[in-house]
Amino acid sequence: MIGGLFIYNHKGEVLISRVYRDDIGRNAVDAFRVNVIHARQQVRSPVTNIARTSFFHVKRSNIWLAAVTKQNVNAAMVFEFLYKMCDVMTAYFGKISEENIKNNFVLIYELLDEILDFGYPQNSETGALKTFITQQGIKGQVSKTKEQSQITSQVTGQIGWRREGIKYRRNELFLDVLESVNLLMSPQGQVLSAHVSGRVVMKSYLSGMPECKFGMNDKIVIDKQGKGGASDDAGKSDLGGGSGKQSIAIDDCTFHQCVRLSKFDSERSISFIPPDGEYELMRYRTTKDIILPFRVIPLVREVGRTKLEVKVVIKSNFKPSLLAQKIEVRIPTPLNTSGVQVICMKGKAKYKASENAIVWKIKRMAGMKESQISAEIELLPTNDKKKWARPPISMNFEVPFAPSGLKVRYLKVFESKLNYSDHDVIKWVRYIGRSGIYETRC
Amino acid sequence: MPYLGGEETVRELRRALSNPNVQSDQLRYRNTILKVIRAMSQGVDMSGLFSEMVKACATVDVVQKKLVYVFLCSYAALNPELSLLVINTLRKDCQDPNPMVRSLALRNMTNLRLPSLVEYVEQPLAAGLRDRAACVRRVAVLGWAKLHNLQASSEIDAAVVNELYSLLRDPDPVVMVNCLRALEEILKDEGGVAINKPITHHLLNRLKECDIWGQCQVLRVLQRYRPQSEDELFDILSLLDASLVSPHPPIMAATLSLFLSLCSGQPAVSLAALERVRGPLLAACGSGSREMRFTALCHIQLLLRSIPGLMGAHYKRFFCGYAEPAYIKQRKMQVLVELVNDENVAMLLDELKGYCTDVNAETAQAAITAIGRIGRSYSDRCLEILTGLLGLKQDHITSAVVQTMRDLVWVCPQCSDTVCFALEGCEETLQDSQGRQALLWLLGVYGERVSSAPYTLEVFIDGVRSEASLGVKMELLTATMRLFLCRPAETQDMLGRLLHYCIEEETDMCVRDQALLYYRLLHCGIEETRKVLQGRRSDPSLGVLIGRPAEPVSQWARSFNTLEPLRQGSIETDGALNRLKQ
Repeated sequence: MIGGLFIYNHKGEVLISRVYRDDIGRNAVDAFRVNVIHARQQVRSPVTNIARTSFFHVKRSNIWLAAVTKQNVNAAMVFEFLYKMCDVMTAYFGKISEENIKNNFVLIYELLDEILDFGYPQNSETGALKTFITQQGIKGQVSKTKEQSQITSQVTGQIGWRREGIKYRRNELFLDVLESVNLLMSPQGQVLSAHVSGRVVMKSYLSGMPECKFGMNDKIVIDKQGKGGASDDAGKSDLGGGSGKQSIAIDDCTFHQCVRLSKFDSERSISFIPPDGEYELMRYRTTKDIILPFRVIPLVREVGRTKLEVKVVIKSNFKPSLLAQKIEVRIPTPLNTSGVQVICMKGKAKYKASENAIVWKIKRMAGMKESQISAEIELLPTNDKKKWARPPISMNFEVPFAPSGLKVRYLKVFESKLNYSDHDVIKWVRYIGRSGIYETRC
Repeated sequence: MPYLGGEETVRELRRALSNPNVQSDQLRYRNTILKVIRAMSQGVDMSGLFSEMVKACATVDVVQKKLVYVFLCSYAALNPELSLLVINTLRKDCQDPNPMVRSLALRNMTNLRLPSLVEYVEQPLAAGLRDRAACVRRVAVLGWAKLHNLQASSEIDAAVVNELYSLLRDPDPVVMVNCLRALEEILKDEGGVAINKPITHHLLNRLKECDIWGQCQVLRVLQRYRPQSEDELFDILSLLDASLVSPHPPIMAATLSLFLSLCSGQPAVSLAALERVRGPLLAACGSGSREMRFTALCHIQLLLRSIPGLMGAHYKRFFCGYAEPAYIKQRKMQVLVELVNDENVAMLLDELKGYCTDVNAETAQAAITAIGRIGRSYSDRCLEILTGLLGLKQDHITSAVVQTMRDLVWVCPQCSDTVCFALEGCEETLQDSQGRQALLWLLGVYGERVSSAPYTLEVFIDGVRSEASLGVKMELLTATMRLFLCRPAETQDMLGRLLHYCIEEETDMCVRDQALLYYRLLHCGIEETRKVLQGRRSDPSLGVLIGRPAEPVSQWARSFNTLEPLRQGSIETDGALNRLKQ
């Protein structure tokens, strides 16, 4: 299993080092630094093999986390563990940066002790860890037996993901539909490949052991209900007032372990008893009928050998009442650029020589609108016969709807034993669609 | 590395640690110890502070204890006598009412890794196995594994092994999984834990209670189990069905691995399982994190060896975004090559053509090689693209194209005309030795059709004195000889010069011997020479791309879900190709 865990800063200095098994020596720390961090070429692969030892690494901002092993392990598991480690650290002290690590030195060593024993991952759930490793050190000895038994029952109860006897004054639940839309578009405007990968994250603060049923505009369900589709209780969850006829065809989806898969297979209904707090309910992927929030139309004209005229129009393709935010368009420029003149009516555009790109930032943009930027790029005359292969124009943005077209139709809560009903529960839904790899070739 | 003032730091810290004022103030004491650990992390040698740290161990502050233990575990091997002093504190802590303190003490006793302490450690460990708190039991179980690791030669008492087996039925799932891990290590010589039917069923029933790591471990261990009847096999498979499509890639991979090993006798079931897994694998390929994408891609490559059509409809998912890291792009290209068929070949080649001008030279070369491999089945289109690339006149691209053309011609001799035509004039842009060797080989074998061949070779021969690469010189010799056999008038003179240089002045023995061989061959007569040098020019049997028989799953099933797929550079080794050409 994992023989050692090291954390370095961007200079290659060791911030944390912990060795779990004897087959990893102190020189492993240096080997990684020399061969990966200070290697002259770009990072080759997230797994590096040096002298029969494998180094897995993950980079977060400019901090390197490396796991070392000499055995033939399950690669996906090691990476998952490193991500979990990052999640736990973030849950405790926020962003992973050199300063935060140095300030929470003690905490990290405690965590490393608890999470990995002899190189095997042990308990890594943030919730459970937070009960007995806190910033101030271990809690007093008085309440530990009760917590201990609670933690044990949480794990060994019939329903392992939710313990009995949870009580809240206000019963609320929050649904976040987080999607990432990826697009590759050809210069002629044809979609080469587009897909959306999304997750539904639920934060539930409900008392007792409630049964929940989650409904969305899944194509198969709607087809079953027939054309005279029952107008289901819309409530707050039906954003944009779309009719129930809009449905999405999900390519495949995977669920949290609490969802009863047998019911899903037979009637395509998602019913479950939710864990308390925040967790990921389902993950899905669609490739058909994707609403592409932005259409980028580039126009590049070469004037002689010393000038390049670029005009880029972006059109927003969603309801006028919605606002997209944090829009950033990167237009790549040739390497021999000497100067750039940029004109744009909306937002701010700057030429960044170090990145060889014009970066155009628009704070927000409503739907069904158009914005344009024109730039004149002056080139240094060059003898280079190389033709500049135009890299694609890439975009980043955030939109308040799901580009896949997914809409939450309902989330019903039934709790028979306690006296609150579905109407007493306060429900919130929010859709966040982000750009993943959104490129238009030009 | 801050080695500056190592001595100074140690002295200062020793003074601080022995200062009674510091010792009485808990916060200051803890901070001083923090400084020690920090310096230790950065590589400064703190072993001189061992005795002070031992004294710091006897404290009620649990956080401080933990820090001291981190220090002690690192340096205990250097100070075995002093470590004995710690043992008393540790043994006392093992009986503390607080289970956290007990587990901490137990864990660190076993982390000290000192053979001399083994006798003191065994008794608390045995008690730990029966502790009422789960966290102590978890630590105790792994503690036995660590003990075994420390003294591999000594036998772990059979009673302990039995107790570990019985702890597999512990209500706490982490204890159960830890027992698996410990038994795997302790019984490694006997092949690990004995997996029999009751244990298997017990583990499978409790699979849902374990967390991700536990599930992966259980699934891995169960690979050794052989079900006794088909009914049992299908029962197990249906139980594991949910894990096969788990949203967590490690669990999905581990379950698939288990399926494949259980169904090794039933290929139909294995293939069905692979179909099921297609969706989650594709999802992993689109995951947010690069490392998971890379891992998923490598595993998909393995799967495609058995079911080439698995991802056929989804080939567009493997198009590379511009900003993706080079290692992901290269793997995606390898996958794309596997997915080519008559319908999508035009689109695929278009895509690959775009990647050939990538900023990263290696990616560009990988794209060109990919086009070459597709060319075995669709030679015309690919050659068109390759010839177009030559027109760009860039070194690394030209070099890769020439090498690809050489490989292509070996498999598809019908392309030789186009290739010969394209070769005119590309020697100016070739800089690296691989490319030049490829060019020379082509000129040698197809010299009669390339009109400028003798002149190109002459340029090389004139520069042979300053030629550094051994491979190029060898190839030059062979090529000139071959060209001489078909165009003697033009090449006789320079062949003579070359042989003279190689035999008289060349220092490298390989080149010299080769030249001597050719010289003597020529003396034997033209017919003999012709027989030796004009061997095979091509081997079409090396296979077209499409229509390659699918490999049975069993060939690669064992390396699934390990590090193997990530290490492979490419599926087909072109090494076989190179060997045949000499």
